Amino acid sequence: MTVSSLTAGTSRRGTHLLSAVSVVVAAATVLVLGLCAPSLATAQDDPDRDLKVSQPDFTLITLPTTLRLPRYRSAFRVTHRFLRPLGAGDFSDLLSDFFGLDSGAQIGLEYRFGLMRGLQAGINRTSDKTIEFFSEYSLMQQQNNGMFGLAAIASIDGTNNFQNSYSPSLGVVLSRELGEHGALYFEPIWVNNSNPDPSELANDNDTVIYGLGARLRIRPTVYVVGEFLPRTGYRPGVNHGSFGIEKRAGGHVFQLNFSDSFATTMGQLARGGTNSDDWYLGFNITRKFF
Amino acid sequence: MLKRALYGILAIAATVGIAACDEKLSDLTGPTPNLQPTFSSIQQNIFEASDSSGRLACTQCHNAIGSLFTGLNLTNAVAYANLVNVAVREKAGARRVIPGDPENSYLIQKLEGRASVGARMPLNSPAYLTDGQIRVIKRWIELGAPND
Repeated sequence: MTVSSLTAGTSRRGTHLLSAVSVVVAAATVLVLGLCAPSLATAQDDPDRDLKVSQPDFTLITLPTTLRLPRYRSAFRVTHRFLRPLGAGDFSDLLSDFFGLDSGAQIGLEYRFGLMRGLQAGINRTSDKTIEFFSEYSLMQQQNNGMFGLAAIASIDGTNNFQNSYSPSLGVVLSRELGEHGALYFEPIWVNNSNPDPSELANDNDTVIYGLGARLRIRPTVYVVGEFLPRTGYRPGVNHGSFGIEKRAGGHVFQLNFSDSFATTMGQLARGGTNSDDWYLGFNITRKFF
Repeated sequence: MLKRALYGILAIAATVGIAACDEKLSDLTGPTPNLQPTFSSIQQNIFEASDSSGRLACTQCHNAIGSLFTGLNLTNAVAYANLVNVAVREKAGARRVIPGDPENSYLIQKLEGRASVGARMPLNSPAYLTDGQIRVIKRWIELGAPND
């Protein structure tokens, strides 16, 4: 190995390290800004700060809702998908593994921030080293038009700490709130470059997701949630499906869910689940900082 | 209102701008960075050329003289006619390249070393084709193995 190749290798590693460090620094800066944000907020009567019982969270299970994040406020979410298929072995095996909790998990940490009224942006990193940057802009609110809520969403995720396989997406979130009983959602989302292969080797390099979802309030602070994501275009694996039950407690939402994939980012959702027979236990915890 | 519209447009523009971030085929094809899933490219980069991995060109053996022993001539003028839909001499019922069916094409089976007869190709070469190079050849066959 020559000195120049060693130098080039060191330089590449240095560039990757710098890239990873800059992502972490940016995320930390946004986090600190968000946590210090109460002093920045001027409008104490911001209606976006009011609790919306029909839409208590910014996501269903993976799909976004049309809930607005107040300006200069933030929220944090942890997603957990245990890797043990619930159908593996018999029930005693499942009990022995405590429903999958003894196995590893795909974990996601997400932070979002209200940049201005109706506009929120955030970052989500999952433990398979995927980093997703996302934003959502509220175009219409049901309380204004009496019909539906509408938001535009855009995101980009990249694997290997945002160094490979970039998958940008654009979509809309259409919501219909059912009084205080919950809400229904339809979310057509286009995901570009969802196929990890070069386009020369792929029949389809894009996926269109037709997200369907619902959140129904069954007790004053308890909801059941479900979502199903049929796809067209590049669609390996099974369509993502998930359902769960959740409890709202102050600024927290605790959700226990069952999914047929580990996906939480748009690129992962476009690539679907692994096997139609496999379902996995998981949970989400959201904390609002307002 | 204008400011909001501007933010929206910027977000969309940024996403669409990044939409051109497809993976590079050259990252996959390693020692033959110019390899494309076309017959002319495969002919030029694989059949007729050795590469930096040490892999020998197919035409070192599969040429006009060698074909007297190997039964296959992969030199430029006759390679396509000798491959696509041509029966395999050493295995009854098999065809060298079946358009649209890379898995059952004998060419791929020989390159991957899973043919039931004979050795993996290139024979006695210091290196075989990489997975990426084989994938490009498979893609050409998937696309119908055109003479392009």
